[in-house]
Amino acid sequence: MFPTPIEKRPRSAQLSYQAFLPLALILWLLPLIAVANFSIKPEADFVNGNYWGMPSSFEMFSNYGRVFFESNMPRYLLNSLFITVPTVIGAVALSAMAGFALGVYRFKGNLFIFFMFIAGNFVPFQILMVPVRDLTIDLNLYDTKTGLILFHIAFQTGFCTLFMRNFIRALPFPLIEAARVEGVAEWRIFWYVVLPLMKPALAALAVLIFTFIWNDYFWAVVLTQGPGAQPVTAGITEFNSQFRAAYHLMSAGSIVAALPPVAMFFLMQKHFIAGLTLGAVK
Amino acid sequence: MSPILQGLITIIIGVGGCVGYFFASNWVLDKVIFPPRTDDHGRNINRATMVRPWLFLFPAMFALGLYLVYPVVGSFWRSLFNRSGEEFIGLGNYTTMFAEEGFRTAVFNNILWAIFVPAAATFLGLLVAQLTDKLKWGNIAKSLIFMPMAISFVGASLIWKFVYANDPDIGIINAVRDVLGADPIDPLQIPFWNNFFLMVILVWIQTGFAMVILSAALRGIPEETIEAAIIDGANPFQIFFKIKVPQIMGTIVVVWTTITILVLKVFDIVYAMTGGNFDTEILPSYMMDYMFRDDGRATAVAFVIMIIVLPVMVWNIRQARKEMN
Repeated sequence: MFPTPIEKRPRSAQLSYQAFLPLALILWLLPLIAVANFSIKPEADFVNGNYWGMPSSFEMFSNYGRVFFESNMPRYLLNSLFITVPTVIGAVALSAMAGFALGVYRFKGNLFIFFMFIAGNFVPFQILMVPVRDLTIDLNLYDTKTGLILFHIAFQTGFCTLFMRNFIRALPFPLIEAARVEGVAEWRIFWYVVLPLMKPALAALAVLIFTFIWNDYFWAVVLTQGPGAQPVTAGITEFNSQFRAAYHLMSAGSIVAALPPVAMFFLMQKHFIAGLTLGAVK
Repeated sequence: MSPILQGLITIIIGVGGCVGYFFASNWVLDKVIFPPRTDDHGRNINRATMVRPWLFLFPAMFALGLYLVYPVVGSFWRSLFNRSGEEFIGLGNYTTMFAEEGFRTAVFNNILWAIFVPAAATFLGLLVAQLTDKLKWGNIAKSLIFMPMAISFVGASLIWKFVYANDPDIGIINAVRDVLGADPIDPLQIPFWNNFFLMVILVWIQTGFAMVILSAALRGIPEETIEAAIIDGANPFQIFFKIKVPQIMGTIVVVWTTITILVLKVFDIVYAMTGGNFDTEILPSYMMDYMFRDDGRATAVAFVIMIIVLPVMVWNIRQARKEMN
């Protein structure tokens, strides 16, 4: 609450505030709006110099149709999907287990390992590049989706474990103790007591990792090179050289490439924000 | 539909593998290695308890070791060798690099990035969080401002290319200049300031992040403190800067450091927008220039980045330790 709520301010102040906010929003989103507008224009508009006005005809289907049928875009999208989904599942599964161990058990080295995970979280990925590339080539996984997936899982595990461990630490511990007193096996405690309680964290983490991995460009460039395995972030550059100067198609391609994580964000907004907040504040 | 089927099978194997590993390893531990049936079953239970955490930790630690610990050491080792990797040249890569003009430009630009981007993103985020707080449609506004965060850095760069394009018909900036009667310019070729044009893209993406975290923090401020300040006759700015900001200082610092660390890793924007030309190089993109040509040099740059990040990392671990005590 800034001093007086805006609702109680004089009418003029309210009006100017209400006018200012949408204006600022439009300015903020102007780059996106422009690209969206470009993407539904016919080619003729660019020839005639109608860049910024309304499209003279709506060519949504033909533009997006060409993106989907005349380029490698669908392949790139599928590649992204097949890289992202297994990574999310793998990273979440591994980190749920590791987080459980670090959060529930007291043992020698617990703190040390926890700090190692924090450190791993901050290591700049550039330093991994050359050895990881060589390792991937040695394992015969260069330019394959598997290679990317394996690496992503490993790299994301640091952050995910940190996240899970903090979440498990905040769970009511007596619940676990009660189960132990009843003689429930440890894996059953993990599976039937802790995992169900972790659902919000699992969802938040999954959404977060999905966008991280989908948007990854660095490793896509380092570990893959062709349409066979490259995800859409790397593919979009190839797409743009294919349609150089065809602004309507370049825009449509950019929108298609950006859409899945944006859609994910709007559908799962609650989890996404919960994930960011949990990950950053803790 | 074969790729989809293939994907599904991979997923099933992956998940099944995880569940199986987890079930089987616990079973083996409890029933085979330390069964609580023999004469010393008390000791066996204790032993099993000692081993169990490592069962849960093993896969994650193995992954982390293979892809994190080994590469850090490996990178440093590689940076001591020449381009082909055959000749040991000690710190040779570092000395040639420090003497180079391009490297110094990259360091200087990187410092600019590390100061400007976190400051601007945190400030704007705080501003938006404050202005949209308690507003009826504030949540919609927040979602929209947050949206760029979901777009990849490359995707955002491509979108911003339309803003900075030097063709006045395409570029928004030049379209505005055209209306005002000014000649078109290429914003990305203006020395020094072009760095800031690139930073704006990252600020555009990260403001949403700062806003979300800070707005949660603002909501957590006890209402009484603000009421008390109002009763004491504090003006809006005093309330904001002297009551609210100090109470969320911890969160502001976290947001600031998180974005700082991110900035030191981002190369996509420079790489996609200018390719490091026109003196816009920063360390990560400088490294990419050498990536496929000279691994020794590339790893040396990577190690410099690592050393710059190190203090922030140590500070974060200290913070975590403090929280625990």
